[in-house]
Amino acid sequence: MALVNLESVWKSYKKGRDRVEVLNDISFRVNSREFVALMGPSGSGKTTMLNLIGGLDRPTSGVVTVNDVVLNSLSSGKLARWRSESIGFVFQFYNLLPVFSARQNVELPLLLTKLSRKQRKKNAALALDIVGLSDRARHTPARLSGGQQQRVAIARAIVADPKILVCDEPTGDLDRSTATEILRLLQILNQEHDKTIIMVTHDPKAAEYAKRTMLLDKGKLVSSLLQSEVGAEVET
Amino acid sequence: MTTFGFLIKSMFRRKLLVTLSMLSLTTAFLLFILLRSVAVLFSGDFASVSDVHMQTASKYAIILLLPHRYGEEIAAVEGVRAITFASWFGGVFKEGDDSAMTFAVDPSTYFEVHENYQISSEHLDAFLELRTAAVAPEAIMERYDLEVGQKVPVTSSIFPNINGEPWTFDLVGTYSSENEVEADYLPFLFHYEYLKEATGVSDVGWYTFTIEDPEKASEIAHIIDSKFENTADATKTMTESEAMKNWMSQIGDIGLMMNGIIGAVFFTMLLLTANTMIHSYRQRIPDLAVLKTLGFSNNKVAGFMLFESLLFCTTSAAVGIGIATLALNGIGPFLPTGFVLAVTGPTLIWGTSIALGLGLVIGLVPAISANRLVIVNALHTK
Repeated sequence: MALVNLESVWKSYKKGRDRVEVLNDISFRVNSREFVALMGPSGSGKTTMLNLIGGLDRPTSGVVTVNDVVLNSLSSGKLARWRSESIGFVFQFYNLLPVFSARQNVELPLLLTKLSRKQRKKNAALALDIVGLSDRARHTPARLSGGQQQRVAIARAIVADPKILVCDEPTGDLDRSTATEILRLLQILNQEHDKTIIMVTHDPKAAEYAKRTMLLDKGKLVSSLLQSEVGAEVET
Repeated sequence: MTTFGFLIKSMFRRKLLVTLSMLSLTTAFLLFILLRSVAVLFSGDFASVSDVHMQTASKYAIILLLPHRYGEEIAAVEGVRAITFASWFGGVFKEGDDSAMTFAVDPSTYFEVHENYQISSEHLDAFLELRTAAVAPEAIMERYDLEVGQKVPVTSSIFPNINGEPWTFDLVGTYSSENEVEADYLPFLFHYEYLKEATGVSDVGWYTFTIEDPEKASEIAHIIDSKFENTADATKTMTESEAMKNWMSQIGDIGLMMNGIIGAVFFTMLLLTANTMIHSYRQRIPDLAVLKTLGFSNNKVAGFMLFESLLFCTTSAAVGIGIATLALNGIGPFLPTGFVLAVTGPTLIWGTSIALGLGLVIGLVPAISANRLVIVNALHTK
């Protein structure tokens, strides 16, 4: 069953007097519990597509439906609330708030819920436990390594228990071994915690952790292949 | 973590900068309270004086005396109920100290006209009986550690004692006022007759009288001043509240000067604080974008900025007002009698309003900007 559905989506930006087409008539579906890698060269529209799925941006035309909600029709207030309930975000540069501890950063999305202070604290601790950082709960981002910061960001993304995680180059700033740890963590979240993951990456090695890889080029969807098909294509 | 805790921690993300900015604003509010208190003192609005009471003094200066016979002529004017008089003595109770308010009065009529003053019949009788008797208000009793029954030596540069020694009064009682604020401005009173006999001066400083109808105050003032218009001792008659303001205004338009300084201080603070807030906002654009990404709405993020600005200003104001109140209480005993610097209700309301206004003004631009922040652009701002 399709959890994410894009139908004839166009996205263009104004740049001075010109209009720049970023996405051209994109249509695709992502099923529940899928782990999808979005690949393509720089400027191909990967991050823009991720922003549309995450409700951070709106399409110029076309329909974006996520979990049966048509995002185009939501007001900015409702879209914000929808984001808080339905989506977890993981960025390349972690985007943690520097003055807050790991636990407080993870707890942030819960300030929008009706949970008690005690419950918020408990949930944040649980999320940190899932990513293996219970012992760093009191540390501020400056006292954590890049990999640890990304784990905190993942904990923040899952703390409100969203169905979907959108990850924009989550390993782009990490060395190979740390990147592998993060990708394994995402895989565990996908396989054991039923999270649907859409990940933008430049790295073919990172894309191997996904079940399906979609290739974008110049704003168009070029291919959408299962992991086994990607291997076969590489061989041929 | 609570939302309030989150806001406080966000506000102090750059502790030194924010603390120093708050200290600047605290100083501005401290200055505001101190200067406003001085302005209030000189505006005369603090004095609880009734328009039923009128005062006739020299037209040219309050220090010039008026003939004693004027009393009878003023009393004869229709509408005048009771009349008394007083002379400024300028008594110094302690060597090296400033003069305290000391009046030579007619005890038999003084408390009749000033019906809001409270004196026991026992003390009033003692005051009436003894020519060297004096009564003092609580403020002066406390300040100079006086006790009823003691002899009080007082010097005066206006009326020096002929023998070169201090004047000596027998303190026979105390008196007070129904009005608490006025209680701090009450003078030390002694017999006019004692002064007259010792110095030969038969003129008086001013006349105070009550009238039957406050609405006829202007008419009565005109009648009295007309009587003495073409004499060497022309008069100026006013209600007591007008007289108080008139006396204060002879010192200069202190209120205007103080308000000018306050205005300059706050204008500077507005620019400095607005600069701090905008700088703080710009540094936090990526953080605000993260909050929006996590689901905090545009209005909520804008509200955070506005709340922070209001918290910044009101906290600074509260600390400034608190220190100013303590400072005014501390310097109170060192001021001349009759001069009371206090944080009045209107000054507090002004201070609070300025703090809220300042918070809104300097928070508005960051709040609007935060509201309009486009997440996808702001996330990658560094």
